[in-house]
Amino acid sequence: MTGILTASDVGKSYGSGDTRMAIIDGLNLSIAKGEFVSLVGPSGCGKTTLLMCLSGLLSPNLGKVGFKGQVVTAPPIGLSVVFQDYSRSLLPWKTNLDNVLFGMRRVTGMDAAQKKARALEILEAVGLPGFAGHYPWQVSGGMQQRVAIARGIASQSELLLLDEPLAAVDAQTRADMQDLLLDLAKRFDQTCVLVTHDVEEAVYMADRVLVLGPRPTRVVREIVVDLPKPRDQISTREAPAFLHARHEVMELIRSMRQGKALS
Amino acid sequence: MIPGIAVLAEKFRVPICIALVLGVWQIVFVLGVVNEKYFPSIPTIAVAFGQMLTDGSVIAAWATTFLRALIGLIGAALLGVALAIVSDLSPILSRGIRYVSDVLQPIPPAAFVPMAVFMLGLGSKLYAFVIILVTVWPPYLNGVAALAGVGPVQLNTGRMFGLTNWGLLWRVKLPAALPEIFTGIRYAATISLIAVIVSEMLAGRDGIGFMIFKKAFAMRTPEVFGLMFLVAINGVLLNGLVNLLRRGLTGWHMRMMERSE
Repeated sequence: MTGILTASDVGKSYGSGDTRMAIIDGLNLSIAKGEFVSLVGPSGCGKTTLLMCLSGLLSPNLGKVGFKGQVVTAPPIGLSVVFQDYSRSLLPWKTNLDNVLFGMRRVTGMDAAQKKARALEILEAVGLPGFAGHYPWQVSGGMQQRVAIARGIASQSELLLLDEPLAAVDAQTRADMQDLLLDLAKRFDQTCVLVTHDVEEAVYMADRVLVLGPRPTRVVREIVVDLPKPRDQISTREAPAFLHARHEVMELIRSMRQGKALS
Repeated sequence: MIPGIAVLAEKFRVPICIALVLGVWQIVFVLGVVNEKYFPSIPTIAVAFGQMLTDGSVIAAWATTFLRALIGLIGAALLGVALAIVSDLSPILSRGIRYVSDVLQPIPPAAFVPMAVFMLGLGSKLYAFVIILVTVWPPYLNGVAALAGVGPVQLNTGRMFGLTNWGLLWRVKLPAALPEIFTGIRYAATISLIAVIVSEMLAGRDGIGFMIFKKAFAMRTPEVFGLMFLVAINGVLLNGLVNLLRRGLTGWHMRMMERSE
């Protein structure tokens, strides 16, 4: 398989013998450079475990994860995760600027002044000019997640793995942040993999939605979202193609949930 | 009128409290509840204290005692954090150190002194040994708990940006654990003051602890109370130093806590 990120026959389980619990089994996927792909699935299917395996923070028991043609064994340069729990992911003893600079610690070819200028530029791009000297706990939740996104991009990232990044922010902020993420992905050439439990968000953001099956999970359906970009919070959500894609994903997830309830 | 009094009371709360304590003391003295010999009046104590402050030997003893407590505390804080780090790196050593701590921790400083005098003499080694042995545990125990309590998201964040285990320790775990470690160090500061006074009393050569013993047996009660006041000032000074360092190293945490209150 080709693509900036690939998973071939990935399997992950915890424990052994009778208590062995399989989370992922025989999962394959390939993400092309520049794509925005959403991963959705029924609750508890192992989405977050999958993202940890893709990022190199967890090693799969079986199969291989590849990033830019290299087998992933540890978090590689050029890949960064944006965690749901931004308040725990940002380091509270560092200012917003220092948090972004912490993300740049493996960046080469820039001196300290250039790094600082770049960090300030990205903080401005995520909508936080003037908050570089604040501490994360001095700004709102939505702003904290913007700092975390800025930190991810600043690490010379090419691939952002977004682990339910907007689950903890309020609904209005969420809509703004969806558009911000789409805008940043384009502006900074980021390939994005978004894990979310919000089907509408998954469809709205993505070029492609991969639907995951119940645990042990694998990709059970691929839905191409045939909608123009840039997306618009009102008209995109009313477009027939959006409604069709949303319908298909929701029906699939509902059938899996019912299947689980019956078994 | 009433709000005016409330504002004044708020502004002068510290002198008011001190005046209250001194007032109650003086009332107890006037009523003659305790024999005057053992419970002198405030003016008597004040005069004795004033005379002591002009006495070079008292000032020297005061400085000696304070330095002993300070050196012991610094040693205990460094050793405690080092033990916590070792425990965090090695589960096997962690269990071993925990057993040693469980056995040594309940032993009061007074019990260490007689043997330590034989082993180490009456010099600074004695005080460093006893104080460190009894004050090392709060920084160690708090350090172990704080290092173990650093959350998985913070650790994963560090790993994601390429930190090794060693890097995680220095760049993520220790900064995150420092506020809780300081809680242990503040507690250790109090214990070190107890340990130094008790050790000086038992070792019987110098320091404020020894002076209190000497004056008490000579029935110089006003001076004993004056010396006790000096011990209290030592406590305030030591706490002030610890808080200064704490504000410098973990000021972010203090401001974060003030904010969430």
